[in-house]
Amino acid sequence: MDQPKNKGMDRRTFIKTSTMIGLGVAASSFGVPKLLRAAPPTIKIGSVQPATGPLAVIGVGQRRGNQLAVDYINAMGGIKSMDGAKLELLLGDSESKPEVGRSEADRLINGGAKVMTGPFQSGVAMAISTLCEQRQVPFIMDVAALDAITDKGKKYTFRVFITVSGLLEGGIKYLKMVTDMKKVMPKRAVVTNTADAFGKGMSGGWVKFMEKSGLPIEIVDRVEFPLGIHDLSAEVARIKAAKPDILFPVSRPGDGIILTRELYKQRVELLGIYGPGSPGWYEPDVIKDLDKLIYYVMVNVPWINPSSPVYKQANAAFEKAHNRYLDTNSAYAYTGVLVIADILERAASTDPEKILAATRQTNFKNHPVVSGPIQFDEKGDNTGALTALIQVQPDADLLKRVKIVAPTEFAQSDKIIFPAPQLWKR
Amino acid sequence: MIALGLSLIFGVMGVINFAHGQMMVMAMYVSYWIFVLLGLDPYLSLVVVAAIIFVQGYLIQASVVNRILDYPEAMQVLPLVSMGLILENLALLLWGPDYRSPQTALGLETLWIGPIMIDVSRLIAFALAILITFLIFILLKKTNIGKCIRAASDNRTGAIVVGINVDRIYNTSFALGAATTAAAGVLLLPLMPLSPHLGHDFTLTAFIVVILGGMGNLIGALVGGLILGVAESVSTLFLPATLKHAVSFSILIIIMLFRPQGLFGGKK
Repeated sequence: MDQPKNKGMDRRTFIKTSTMIGLGVAASSFGVPKLLRAAPPTIKIGSVQPATGPLAVIGVGQRRGNQLAVDYINAMGGIKSMDGAKLELLLGDSESKPEVGRSEADRLINGGAKVMTGPFQSGVAMAISTLCEQRQVPFIMDVAALDAITDKGKKYTFRVFITVSGLLEGGIKYLKMVTDMKKVMPKRAVVTNTADAFGKGMSGGWVKFMEKSGLPIEIVDRVEFPLGIHDLSAEVARIKAAKPDILFPVSRPGDGIILTRELYKQRVELLGIYGPGSPGWYEPDVIKDLDKLIYYVMVNVPWINPSSPVYKQANAAFEKAHNRYLDTNSAYAYTGVLVIADILERAASTDPEKILAATRQTNFKNHPVVSGPIQFDEKGDNTGALTALIQVQPDADLLKRVKIVAPTEFAQSDKIIFPAPQLWKR
Repeated sequence: MIALGLSLIFGVMGVINFAHGQMMVMAMYVSYWIFVLLGLDPYLSLVVVAAIIFVQGYLIQASVVNRILDYPEAMQVLPLVSMGLILENLALLLWGPDYRSPQTALGLETLWIGPIMIDVSRLIAFALAILITFLIFILLKKTNIGKCIRAASDNRTGAIVVGINVDRIYNTSFALGAATTAAAGVLLLPLMPLSPHLGHDFTLTAFIVVILGGMGNLIGALVGGLILGVAESVSTLFLPATLKHAVSFSILIIIMLFRPQGLFGGKK
């Protein structure tokens, strides 16, 4: 009968292994750890984005934007004032839910994040900003627009993106420009919005701004629906019954597609669709799938600056890595990390107070978006933030269909098409 | 039809398939893939997609569900919720998070009777839903495998005693439920943009429909689905659309209070 083999460690193996470990430990007291000690420290940045759930398409893009900027900074030698310290991105997923976003941010801070960024959704931003105030961790939001996030005199919260008020001002300004230029004035309008914090705040604000704008456009109905809705047939029937001349949608990816297709099916006659400022109308897959149906939609939105050298460089790297262009949200995520790197460079420390002092002195110009220099006011909002008016216009190249039509210094097309041909006559 | 598949699985095995919506999403992606790669309209690929998801369902039942049938109900939930998460993340990995809305031949077609608009895609989905329910009904009532499924559903021990391979029957039942859901997913493809997270809502809605119609009752699932769909649509005329789910759950609570066995009765 065979003797059972001893699967444990025999004496010779034990001696060999312990000798190797001993030699390793001895060696490490001399040359090896000196190399390790000489390596620059790593600075962890926590990024919470909606990587799953109904906003995953944006969240994944934002993560990629964050990571691209981290890779760029590291490739350029890291944070030079801190011995070339490398940046490391810690990833959190809000699942598009504020409570999850907060717990993810907490996890990243416990994991060593010295600065937080993200999170696209205003509701999630509110939750994370409260946490960051408690934990005394600077929170440089790349995208999140609701004014209330920075309204409460928060010390550690800053915003690279534009506020809802800024968006609304831009929206009214461009709407006046279009109606004056085209000498066409809609009389009746319907506002639609998703029922998340941003959707409610943005559409409520739009209704108020429209009333104060002096434009003779009556908002005849406001249609609100849940985030991630799958069917808008009943809502569009309601829109049709209100007989609007123009539609002001505050949407999210997905519902813009459903809304447009349903407007087509139910033959809702409109002069045009004008987005006061929200996604859902310019993403590459939306442009591709809706094709002619998405033509002539205008959206007032913080946008990329295609002629900026920073954008060109970042876009080339993004296209190489992900086979798609750097859209506005990803570009803002990219900008957020560039701003953080600039702040760390000037702070030369990860001490929260030094980071705060450097943040307040920010004057960042080398960014890839339509914006003035990024500077923060006493509330933490970016005083240089701007919006652009974009319109989807016919072009054989899918990637060139979204064009900046205002402001003129950034414009890619000198024509604005309004009123638009009806959806079913294209 | 999604509820029909869920009801079939529950009716036979007493297991609630919490991966149901995600299986539907998988079917939608397979159909989308076939459309993009081969140009085959979703209606034409329906049978192929249903067959693929049938095999997937068979494998899930054989590898996971058969092992947990005798566990307490609370413990049956976790493996199927996990399966749903795996399928959702697999879709995210394979196709990315983007919303996809293929321009199918009939996707934007409508019929007009005076001022009334009829969405052709919805009309086809409705007609095929009734046809498929009828076919499954015939399969269960008239065929040998249908009789075996009903026997295994009625009395598992009795079915084993008379020589029915109950494990194989269970595999077939789960696969049939999965294929029905796959067909529903294909019919939905022209109607809504596709993304990996879509499944949760449909699992929940199907669950409400199944309770409404009666757990395990196939006709109940069809009628329950109709009632819920009409109630949600009509409610948007009087209430904010954000209260759609509140309407569904209110109906669910009322049914559970006054007719806990569902409208058409079913397993308790």
